[in-house]
Amino acid sequence: MINLAALVDAVHLLGSSWQPWLVVVPGILIGLIVHAVPGLTTSMALAICLPLIPYMDFLQALIFMTAMYAGALFGVAIPAVLLNVPGSAAAVGTTFDGFPMAQAGRHNEALGLALAASCTGQAAAYLLLLCIAEPIAAFAIKLGPPEMLVVSVWGLTLIARLRGRHLARGLLAGVFGLLLGTVGLSARGAPRGTFGIDLLLDGVPIVPAIVGLFAAAELFNLVGRDYIVDDLTRRSVNARRILIGMRDTFRYPGTLLRGALLGTGLGLLPGGHAIANLLSYSEARRAAKDPERFGTGDPRGIIAAESANASSEGGSMATLLALGIPTGGATAVMLVAFGMHNITGGPAFMREHTDIVYAVILSSLAQVVILGVVGFAFIFVAGFG
Amino acid sequence: MALSHPVISLGGSKIAVDVPHLAFVSAIVGWCVWFCRDAWLAQADVENLIMIVPAAVAAGVLYVFVAAGCFKVVGRADGFGTRRPLHTGVGVKIAGTMALLAALVVAGPLVGFDIASFVYILATLLLLGERRILILLLAPALFCIVVVYCFDTVLPIPLPLFFVAGGAP
Repeated sequence: MINLAALVDAVHLLGSSWQPWLVVVPGILIGLIVHAVPGLTTSMALAICLPLIPYMDFLQALIFMTAMYAGALFGVAIPAVLLNVPGSAAAVGTTFDGFPMAQAGRHNEALGLALAASCTGQAAAYLLLLCIAEPIAAFAIKLGPPEMLVVSVWGLTLIARLRGRHLARGLLAGVFGLLLGTVGLSARGAPRGTFGIDLLLDGVPIVPAIVGLFAAAELFNLVGRDYIVDDLTRRSVNARRILIGMRDTFRYPGTLLRGALLGTGLGLLPGGHAIANLLSYSEARRAAKDPERFGTGDPRGIIAAESANASSEGGSMATLLALGIPTGGATAVMLVAFGMHNITGGPAFMREHTDIVYAVILSSLAQVVILGVVGFAFIFVAGFG
Repeated sequence: MALSHPVISLGGSKIAVDVPHLAFVSAIVGWCVWFCRDAWLAQADVENLIMIVPAAVAAGVLYVFVAAGCFKVVGRADGFGTRRPLHTGVGVKIAGTMALLAALVVAGPLVGFDIASFVYILATLLLLGERRILILLLAPALFCIVVVYCFDTVLPIPLPLFFVAGGAP
């Protein structure tokens, strides 16, 4: 399944020059910083950096963008854990147990768990991608609208399970979200539920909706308190406890692996990365012998959500590289970057530039290690900032 | 002390009603019904309504189950749980924060988001008890500069500003 000649060429491409590696740390840092601010998105950060792309060679540009993507996938977990505000829809599942851990003064462990799960998820996804990039691409192209509908309905039914015994409330919230998602113009251009406001013709914008639902609600919730954690000694940043959190991640290999596999699979589908964390969280909860602990600060909740969220990058990249189909905003901007170098993603690209595809995968595996170090330093420095 | 709920008498039984929860769920389902009607009036064909009508009907059915849970016979062990009242002054602060946020949304496009954001942060800090002059002036100013710069750089649509990019909106 692996083209060994192309793999050797990829190693040569990456090893023959230090230039592709120059952009890795800046890319990860930009991704981390941008996504640590709720409301800013990966696609937005990638779009801002697009003017830089023509000044890089194609491989360097791809590595830069995947580094930003990798940093962003962990960055979303930071406000999710500390503020109960997911940096994007991809980190909603992380808030369920991450914020209760922060409230209990275990924010160091929670961030350590999120970082290690994110790194492991990405590594697992790219290893999988390295082995089965071509078969995955062939499978993804067979998925049509009926299959997408089934995946969406599956996602909706799983939402109902997330809040345990309140099945009707969960389903009602899902139905409400479904209707909110149809606000705007119909297929034939009739405005629905817009109150005559032109800005709603394209629907409810996702970023303001997330900021409003999570950030504004949390703002009102925090008004009566001075700090999320009142005890000063439990607010400190502690490197040892972050490392303990990172170590504890590997005490739940089943949750980690299940999240990584689910995330990779869903990342292949358009919009899949946004629900990967929720589906993985729901599955981890379903499989647990003590599901009532989820939502109260259980490490398995963070591991499940973060590993799936991070591994969805590998799936998204597989669809982008092999089919030339963006599965989300970030990969859509990457496709624009392809165009800047007069390259079109898709089966022909996979066939003719397999060495570059493998080089991107190998560099992404290296980025996982760098993300571990940079992410740890980022938490530590930001915590003292 | 837990919050008390209004009690109604029905057939000799006393039933407590979780009014805030009932009102919240009613508002959500009310919007769903209104949205379904609006969509129907906009384009009354299957293509438009194939998902909206079933979803609105589902919302109505689910409402019956959720709303039923807002009524409990007084004295039963599985009541509404222990929702505690807000501390003195916190309710006023929450209402004030909501009002200020609404004012920011309304005033931003009119006077410019730089001025509106500055005043919003300053007023929120004051409302929440900050009294140090340096913090009251520096925090809003710094936040406004960063946010205005970022939005000016990022947004494809110009943000209405008072001091930057051509003066008053």
